[in-house]
This record gives sequence, structure tokens and C-alpha cells, in this order.
Amino acid sequence: MGKQEWRLPVSEHDRDVIIEDVVRRVVEEKVREAERAGDAAALEHVINDVLYHEKLRARSAGDSHDMQREMAFLSSTTRRLSQADFAGKRVMLEKLTRHYADDIAGHFSPRIFDFSTRLLPVGLEAVFSASSPAFLFNSSPNISDLQSRIVIRGDIERIKELARLGTIVVTPTHCSNMDSLVVGWALNDVGLPPLNYGAGKNLFVNKILAFFMNGLGAYKVDRRIKHELYKDTLKMYSLALLEDGRHSLFFPGGTRSRSGALEKKLKMGLLGTGLSAYVNNLINEKPKPNIYYVPLTINYAIVLEAETLIDDYLKEVGKSRYIIVDDEFSKPAKIIKLLTNLLNMESSMSLQFGEPMDPLGNLVDEDGVSLDSKGRKLDIRKYVTGADGNVRHDAARDMEYTRELAEGIVASFHRNAVVLSTHVAGFALFEMLKAANPGIDLYRLLRFEGEGRLISVADAVAGIERVISRLLELNAAGKVKLGGSVRPGECGREVLYKAMNFFGMYHTKPVVVRKGDSVKLVDLNLLYYYHNRLTGWGLEELFRGDD
Amino acid sequence: MEPIRESVSVIGGGSWGTAIAQLAADAGADVLMWMRDAAKAEAINATRRNETYWPQFELGENIRATSDLEELAGHAKLIFSAAPSHGFRDIARELGSFIGGDHILIHGTKGLEPDTQKRMSEIIKEETPAKRIGVLCGPNIAEETMQRQPAATVVASKYPEVVERAQAALASPSFRVYGSRDPLGVEYAGALKNVVAICAGIVSGLGMGSNTLAMLITRGAAEMRRFGIRMGAMDVTFSGLAGIGDLIVTCSSSLSRNHRVGVRLSGGEKLDDIISDMKRVAEGVKAAKSIYEIARRNKIDMPIVWGVYAMLYEGAGVDEVKHILMTRPSIYEEDYSRTDR
Repeated sequence: MGKQEWRLPVSEHDRDVIIEDVVRRVVEEKVREAERAGDAAALEHVINDVLYHEKLRARSAGDSHDMQREMAFLSSTTRRLSQADFAGKRVMLEKLTRHYADDIAGHFSPRIFDFSTRLLPVGLEAVFSASSPAFLFNSSPNISDLQSRIVIRGDIERIKELARLGTIVVTPTHCSNMDSLVVGWALNDVGLPPLNYGAGKNLFVNKILAFFMNGLGAYKVDRRIKHELYKDTLKMYSLALLEDGRHSLFFPGGTRSRSGALEKKLKMGLLGTGLSAYVNNLINEKPKPNIYYVPLTINYAIVLEAETLIDDYLKEVGKSRYIIVDDEFSKPAKIIKLLTNLLNMESSMSLQFGEPMDPLGNLVDEDGVSLDSKGRKLDIRKYVTGADGNVRHDAARDMEYTRELAEGIVASFHRNAVVLSTHVAGFALFEMLKAANPGIDLYRLLRFEGEGRLISVADAVAGIERVISRLLELNAAGKVKLGGSVRPGECGREVLYKAMNFFGMYHTKPVVVRKGDSVKLVDLNLLYYYHNRLTGWGLEELFRGDD
Repeated sequence: MEPIRESVSVIGGGSWGTAIAQLAADAGADVLMWMRDAAKAEAINATRRNETYWPQFELGENIRATSDLEELAGHAKLIFSAAPSHGFRDIARELGSFIGGDHILIHGTKGLEPDTQKRMSEIIKEETPAKRIGVLCGPNIAEETMQRQPAATVVASKYPEVVERAQAALASPSFRVYGSRDPLGVEYAGALKNVVAICAGIVSGLGMGSNTLAMLITRGAAEMRRFGIRMGAMDVTFSGLAGIGDLIVTCSSSLSRNHRVGVRLSGGEKLDDIISDMKRVAEGVKAAKSIYEIARRNKIDMPIVWGVYAMLYEGAGVDEVKHILMTRPSIYEEDYSRTDR
């Protein structure tokens, strides 16, 4: 009973087997495609695609040591590519695939996992103190018991049961690099199995953090790499894990939300591996073929990297960066400061599990059986059956099913978002600013009209209470969740003060400050960021006059 | 993928349902038709004719009829529906308990659900477990189909498999089945053209000729396209069989219910009188209300739909409407972005 019966994430012990499996399957697929197309040069196209994209990347990556090493490896592996015969090209392809699979595959260590999860709060402090010794002396963060500060809600027992009945894939919202640490700790704390974690490579830049991420079972997702072979290898890795019954986690949004809003468009590649794994499991007659997706919302009163993220979002079109590495997460001092403050305040962090679903987006009952929109039990095997009655893959069909899954997850994110004081205050204040400046475009509003603007406390409270009463209705209808401070009877004034407390405790400039009996808007970009968390429920109409 | 000769089930024993059944039978399938009326089903099995709608045609041997929905679901994985828009949800709900994820459901209903304005595919998703859904729509007058006159239709679906299996089931030397990836557009096109058809009846009733009809069809198609694109459809759907194709056939035919409603409106009759002595309400009458409401909510400019709606539901006179439509400000043909309404 308990953790022992769950598969552990990929470790040094078994990663070679998985890597070889992935390499074999990826290469065989490419060879099959080449044969089907009757194109002798097909394998060369794949390799050239790799070289082309990597050369492009090298040009913009400059002289980084890693990139140089990468290019050296590529050129030595693909030497005399055009003169090689089919067998020779196949060998090159295998080497390339193995290189990527090896980079991706995890390094779980039970010892490190145990240490990390027991000591994560202290570990974090040690991690960042180690890389910045001054902090050992300058600050003594009083990181009180994490358990009482991070609220975790949802039907945990049901999720554990599904992890026994099949393979689970946790799909959280993503707005901060803190997510990986918070979720890793929290999931273990509630007794869920250690997950194979798809983590962005930027989490591995800090060597000590990399040590922990590896130990926790993370596999590396390098989003800088754009070529098909890498993406295929990554998908095959995820597929192999799921088929092997290894519970997983990845962020379906792919990257942190820049605007602060909940994800609306998800990345289909990794998301679709659950359905492919299910089909393969059926074809191979696995005893526990089912894959269960578990949406999870991670909700913060204050987001570590908010300033960098919203700044990036607001950059002119084309200048936005998909991968940001030099943000607040790379500054240990900032993390300590945030953690210290967050962990010492109530209603600052909240995790909410959504209802589990199958790879087509249908909800499932306690026994892991899928249900249709009318609550009827479904045999989902039938959805992947062809005209001849046999289970088969169908790329176009499965892509459409995965699109429906994505819709279901996005809807779940909204139903299970936990509204905190800073979201309410940010939304109300920004919408009031907008209403006072009708027709003004966003950039002008943020740069000229908003800064220094005063809103009377009375008006602010009134606006906040309008939002709260609608949120209460939405909550009663099951359309959103409410954090500790957003409760019936909690007056708008308390929410405002709580939010202002959060707004002033961490960011470079306080988002808003109190000035007499008014609220002064100081950092408009951040105000906009926190406002965006509440888009998607039609709350904007509360602040529009008669239309 | 090798196409498989599969059995076909058809919901609806009316003129179009029978025509679909005959098409599938001609293509070689084993067909089972469903209708509510058990006596009618027995009669079809006994006489090999649908006496109510097609007494003149003998139905293929491989066509059988039943009033048992469960039997229908068990007979074939490929189900076509010719049920009308009213009562569609009830039939879908009943069917829902008998079908599974391996059923393919293709509906040919040209209309929207009256109170909710939902498309039939949305109703199917709400009431049944089916996910592989398609829409069949095109210039297919039932009688000419029964006569095996060369014709074509469109089957639209997000799932290529649905299109392939529909093609295999219906295509023959006298019937072409084109695929489409735009089920939403095809569904709206089907509902919209019935409204334009009422207007064609008005045009005919007023004694106007080809010039007027051509203007109506062309600008009607433009209006349909504007609506469709705003609602998320593909542009090209409206220049296809489900768009302009169906519009041409419906507006040229004086036999349809929509046409008759239009003729009567042109004579000054009001909606209540018209409904009271027509056995079944023309689809266009219901669609006019649904489309008008969607257009108004989304600020889509639809003058022809407005005109029909105003005459049906606001008692507007035909001369008044004609004047307003003909004296609208002139625009360029390709301006589809107007949102004043």
C-alpha cells in the first residue's frame, strides 16, 4: 500500500533502456516514412533539417560554449552526409536521435528525491544561499511551515486511485518558474506518486537547482530547438513513458503566461501523446491501458517574474521573447524575498486540482470509467476503432480528439482558477481606469493616462465589491473557485487592503500605494498583469456603462 | 486506406431520408431506415415503396425499414440523419443511449434549433456520445435524386475519416460527394439559404424576373458569406455546393415550402395566416428568427434576412421592405466588413 506500488520516474538505472527504445522507434518511423514515400533521400532531408535549424540557432546564440559544443558534435556526426549510403545515413540519424534522447531523459534518484521533498523549503534556502553566500548572513528568512501556507484543494484520493488504475498526466497552469518547485513539493506532500516531469531547460541553468530538478525526476524540454527530429524525439519519449505506466507532468501551455491570463491555447504535440499511448496500449493489450489527465491550477497572490513577463508581453509585435532566461528567477535574492513574504501570509498560494479526464476530454468517474455529457458510461475504445472494428491510429482523427481535450483542459482551468485578493483588486482598479478613459488604446492608457492616477478608496472598494458579488455568483454556479480572502461577508475594503499589502511587499515598485483617502496607481504594467488573471468570465461588463 | 463496403442506417422516412437511403443502396450498401411510425415501416418492407412520399419509385431490395431506434444503431456504424430541426434534439437524445464512440453520425438538417439557435452538430454533441460527426448539404432536390439525375453534395467534418466513409457509402456514377473541412460553415449555409429562399418566393410572387432573382441570389450569397466568416466559417464554403449551389436550386424551385411562404407574403398575407394552413412550418420561417437574432447580437449586416424577418415577425409590408433594400447606400461588391445593423 502507499508509494511503493507506484513506478518511480526514469533513473540512471533504467534510462538507457528507455533511450534505446525511443531511438529505435523514432528512426524506424523515419525509415518507414522514407520507404512509403519512395524517397531515397528522405533520411538526408531529416538530417539537413536538423543542421539547418541548428545553424540558424547558432547564429543568434552567439559564442556560447554549449552551442559550440553542439555544433561540433553535429558536424562530426554528419560528416560526408551526401556521400553516405542509406545504411550510413541511418546510423547518423540514430546518433543524432540518441544525442537528443540522452539530453531529454531524466535522472531520478530516490535518495535525492527523499532529501529534496523533505527539506525543500530549507533546501531552497540552502540552494540560493550557496550561490549567494551574502544571504546567509544578511537575511534569515523565516520560512514557516509550508503546509499551512500553500493551500492544496481537490479530490486527491480520487487522483491517487486513478494512478493505481492507469497512468496519470498532471497538466498545470504555468505562470512562474516557481511552479515547478511548488508543484513538485506539493504533489509529494499530498501523497501523490513522484512524476516524470517535463521541465523547461531554463530550470537547469543554475547547477544546484539542476541537481534538484534531476533528482526530482524531471526530463528536459529544450524549447530553443526547433527542428522536427527533436520534437519527434521528445514526443516519443513522453509516449514511451506513458506506455510504460510512468505518471507524468508537463505544462500544456508550453511556456509561462506572459500576460498573466490563464492559458487559452495549448501546445498539442505533447498533449496528444496520451491518446497515442492509449491506442498503443490497446493494440498491445496492456492490462491497464488508460491514461488520465489531471488539470491543476496554480494560483499566486504575487508572481515572481511578473515585471519581466508583462514587459515582454507588451513589447511590440515581433520583439517578444519566447524563452526568457535572465528574469527574476535567475536572481536568488528575489526568490528568497518573495518566498519569505508569500509563506508568511495567508491566501498567498493556492493549488486546485480539476476533475480528471480521459485523452478525449471526457470526465471520468471514481472507477476511471469515462462519462459522456449526459453522464452515461462510455467505452472509449470505440472512439479509436476504425470501420473494420479494429483499434487503429488515425493522425487526423486523433489530432481532433486532442483538440477537444485541450478545450476541456482550458475550460477546467477556468472553472478551477482560485481568485485571490490581488486578482480582484487588480481587475477592479484597471477596469475603473479604463472606464474613466473610454476609447483610449491600451498602450496610451498604460504609459500616459494611468500613472499617478488617483482613485478614491470609496470608489475602489465599490468597484471591488461589484466584482466580488459577481464572483460569488460564478462560484455558486461552479464556474470559478475563490481564495481565502474572497468570501461572502468579506467586505471590499479588507480585500483592497490585503491586495495593497501584497502589491507593496515584493515588486520593485509597489503596484499601487495609499495616498490619503485615495489609491494611487504606481506601476500600471503590473496592475494590468494582475488584472488579466480575471479575463475570461465576462467580468468586464461590470464596468461598462449602458451599451 | 482501403474503403470498406459498410452497412448504412438512415434516420427519417420522409422524402429526403428515403432519397439518402436509395443513394446508399445504389452504391451497394445494406440500408436500414428508421421512422417513428411502425405502420409506415411495415408498409415499406411489404410493398418496397414509400407510398406517402415516393409512390412512383420502387425502392432497392437492400433497403429495409424499422421503427426501432436501437435496431437502427445496431445495424450500422454509419448513420445518416434527415430528421427536421424541430424534434431533432429528442431523436438525438433517444439515439444517444444506443450509440457509442465508434458510430459516425452525419446529419442533413438545414436549420437551427429555434430557442437556442444551436447547430445540429452541437445538439448531437450534447445529447449523444458521438464525436465523429459530419454534415451533409448541397443542391439536392429529393425528387431529382430519386430520379438518379447526376448531382453532387458536400459532406463536411473535422474528421477526414467521416468524409471518406460517407463518400464510400454514397458516391456512384450519378452522385458525387465532395469533402469539406468546415462543418460550421456548411451548417450555417444550410440554414441561411432557406431564408433567402423565402425572399425568392416573394420575388416570384411579385412577378419579377431573372434580373431580380439573380441579384437576390448573388447578394444573398454575399450576406451568407459575411455571416459565416464572422461566425468562424471558411470563406470558400459559400461559393461551394452548400452555399451558392444550394441557393441556386432552392431559389429556382417553386415547389419548396419556403417558396410558397414567400409568394404568400408578397400577396400581403401575415405569418399567422400562412402558418395556420400549412401542414409543416417552412424551415426558413424559423431560421429567419434565429439568424436575425444572432446577426443582431454580433452586429452583422444582413439586409435580406432582416427584410424577411421584418415581414414575418414585425408585420412589415412588402413595398416598404423592397424600398428600404433597394435604396441602401451603395457599396463595393467586395466590402464584406460592414457591421452596421
